[in-house]
Amino acid sequence: MEDIKELKRVEQYADQCMKCGFCSFFCPVYQEERTETAVARGKNYLTKLIIKGEQEFTPEMAGIIGKCLLCKRCVANCPAKTQSDRVVVAARADMVRKKGLGFIKGFVFRKVMADRSAMGRYARLMQSFQWLFPKTGGNVRHLPDFIKSMGKRNFPELSRFFLRDRVKSIYSPSGKPRMRVGFFMGCAIDFVYPDLGLKVIDFLVKRGVEVVVPKEQNCCGAAVYFSGDFETGRQLAEANIKAFRDVDCIVSACGSCSSTLKDYQKYLPENEDTQKRYSAFGEKVKDVTEFVIDVLKVDPSTLKLKKEFEGKTVTWHDPCHLVRYQNIKEQPRAVLKGLKGITYAEMPNADLCCGMGGSFSVYHYDLTKKIAAKKMDGIKATGADIVVTACPGCMVNLIDNIAHSGMPQKVHHLLELAE
Amino acid sequence: MIKESLIGEFEKIVGKENVLTSKEALKAYSYDGTTNWIHEPDVVVFPTSSAQVAAVVKLANGEGIPVTPRGGGTNVSGGSVPWHGGIVLCMTKMNKILKIDKENLSATVEPGVVLQDLTLRLAKEGLFFPPDPQSFLGATMGGIISENAGGPACVKYGVTKQYVLGIEVVLASGDIVSLGGRTLKNVVGYDLLHVFISAEGTLGVITKAELKLNPLPPARNTIVVVYDDVAKAGEGVFRVLENGVVPDKIELIDNWVINRIEEMMPIGLPKDADAVLLFEADGVPEAVEKETEKIVEIARKYGAKDVKIPKNADEANKYWLARKAGFAAVFGKAKTVLAEDVTVPRGRIPDLIRKCRELAKKYDVEVTVLGHAGDGNLHPSILTDISNKEHYERAVKALEGIIEGAVELGGVLSGEHGIGLEKQKFFNKVTDPVVVEMMKGVKTLLDPGNIMNPGKIWN
Repeated sequence: MEDIKELKRVEQYADQCMKCGFCSFFCPVYQEERTETAVARGKNYLTKLIIKGEQEFTPEMAGIIGKCLLCKRCVANCPAKTQSDRVVVAARADMVRKKGLGFIKGFVFRKVMADRSAMGRYARLMQSFQWLFPKTGGNVRHLPDFIKSMGKRNFPELSRFFLRDRVKSIYSPSGKPRMRVGFFMGCAIDFVYPDLGLKVIDFLVKRGVEVVVPKEQNCCGAAVYFSGDFETGRQLAEANIKAFRDVDCIVSACGSCSSTLKDYQKYLPENEDTQKRYSAFGEKVKDVTEFVIDVLKVDPSTLKLKKEFEGKTVTWHDPCHLVRYQNIKEQPRAVLKGLKGITYAEMPNADLCCGMGGSFSVYHYDLTKKIAAKKMDGIKATGADIVVTACPGCMVNLIDNIAHSGMPQKVHHLLELAE
Repeated sequence: MIKESLIGEFEKIVGKENVLTSKEALKAYSYDGTTNWIHEPDVVVFPTSSAQVAAVVKLANGEGIPVTPRGGGTNVSGGSVPWHGGIVLCMTKMNKILKIDKENLSATVEPGVVLQDLTLRLAKEGLFFPPDPQSFLGATMGGIISENAGGPACVKYGVTKQYVLGIEVVLASGDIVSLGGRTLKNVVGYDLLHVFISAEGTLGVITKAELKLNPLPPARNTIVVVYDDVAKAGEGVFRVLENGVVPDKIELIDNWVINRIEEMMPIGLPKDADAVLLFEADGVPEAVEKETEKIVEIARKYGAKDVKIPKNADEANKYWLARKAGFAAVFGKAKTVLAEDVTVPRGRIPDLIRKCRELAKKYDVEVTVLGHAGDGNLHPSILTDISNKEHYERAVKALEGIIEGAVELGGVLSGEHGIGLEKQKFFNKVTDPVVVEMMKGVKTLLDPGNIMNPGKIWN
């Protein structure tokens, strides 16, 4: 059947589900809602009915398929190794092709995110008006009190300058370069955390790496293709593949971006040619946390801690897109345990999703809050001063919820800790 | 179909957000952990208090609408499938641990508490609830009690019914009654509490339970024993026990399962072994040491090919993880799996295993054996495909042979899964008609309108 071609591609994964229901224990959404439609087992069952032609893409069905963080905890703990994330994403893709994206998502994905310069223009426009919104804490702002009745939503503060304006197209180390690396900015680092981007580039250059920052690079496409807009996702994939065609390695400091770039080959291929090209591209992508430890072989005990962190206790939050999408777990911990001058405390629920889930938090803000509350309990239990992670998406959500809970912790990217 | 006005009544009782009627939600409450038992309810209701349960059940009783209580829906008998439609009364939002009483070694819980959540909470107090159904990640206490669930640790600790001191239950009439109490000893008239344990939700809805707990044993050891003959492994089980050692777990995996595990997650199980027994001894460290020595000695004496003792807890956990993955391995390898739950007296395990092998040969089907050998509860599983009629018929014949064989050996039809829909076919065959009539009498007395989980246990 043509109209469910993406679901047909992943039918085998849905079939693997033997309905044991163990996923319910690991699903952050089920843990809040306690209903069968929230959990992977229910979603697999209903999508199988779609494949069999016994269920339509109704608005209710769209809601069920939409209510998933894609945190992959169910996948990581499934005895039958069912890849429920792929089933959910495929269902979204077929739904988008059949029913369209909806006006807002359609405009944002296709007119804004697919066009890098347009996205910059909109971001700048928003930046010039954000003084209207008071600061929550860190670089997170909230709605002013007089419209708070609409909900206490917080959102990231856009930086006064964007990375794209400050960044050079090439950075050369003093000696002969060890390798040539393409730096993938990602939207959050471009618009919200440009200093972090410059810091990462500096860190790499200091270690003998030549860093190029192609101007033609685009959004990674996470929000786009995980929402089911594969068409725009493929455009972004093509743009990025082209932009990074002559580097040895592509490095990103955003866990979601690096995972998204690596996974073009998993979700988006239409034919053998794209499968091959997406795979070849994905193999060159490294998250900065694994790049530093596995490729550059940096010995964490040789790193110099930034003064402001001396004597602090730190803990690590595993972004879903690092720990489960890329199996990056030990590398950041090695850095934190090796860095002299700080104490490391493991968080009891370090691998629990923070509740952000990209656009999930836009549509299900209340759920995001409830899931984040559990994360906050874990952070409190560590007694840490600093929560370290490596995904700007998580950072924004953690800052928001730490502020809301009246907690003292600061949130930093791993690469911000060392000189 | 349920009248529109009645849905409104339910919404008044439990709140609009706790009543689901969308087509999609009804489909998502049409199944349990089995493969082929599917039937949609007309409405799903999530109560949050005993009073709400009582009000919903009373209304349903007045209208003659079936009520199927459901928790995590992890059961493997079809027991929580709403076979005659009506209401799925989903208890997952009544999930509070109300009290942990260290002095009395007991806990008071709501029926929607997930076993693993309870285990984690109790561990903080140095306590545990011994019955360990392997669905502990999703199974809820109401279901665990209603199915009288067991698991590996039952060799030493027994099953759920030995750990329930009392329950609060809503009857079909809407009356809320308390049965049992909070004490270990209790002989005040008929033991009605135990009539509700393993009643599979056909007599009422459990809304609260008082559980008996044990202190968490401070030490445990795993012993891996390899056999070149599965029947010898069966013998190894009762030889250890008759020599005075009661390990908390004795699990068996056969050659087929060993090889699937080694494909999925290699941990160094010998692929040519006919069977492996996993023993676990728990208790105070000195006793655990002594028991470990004794198990090794006895195992060697009665034909073990090899004995391994994992160096540390991490290594030991790998073996238990592999055992847990065993079931997934079986289910992942066939379109349809007929998973049995027969249980025989321990001394007859070798006979039952021989019977399984005979039947596999006779009907030319794959029969794998893994299970809780320590309490005689094996899970022979037949790999087949329901869409391949000819093969499926042979598989069913083999299954019938296994059940008949187990009963002939002095065993029972189900050790821990219950009858539900899955084993109805065999229930009347192996149960004394007088006993069936007594059960029906109890049912009629407590639920004259037959609204509580109708269609289960007997035909």
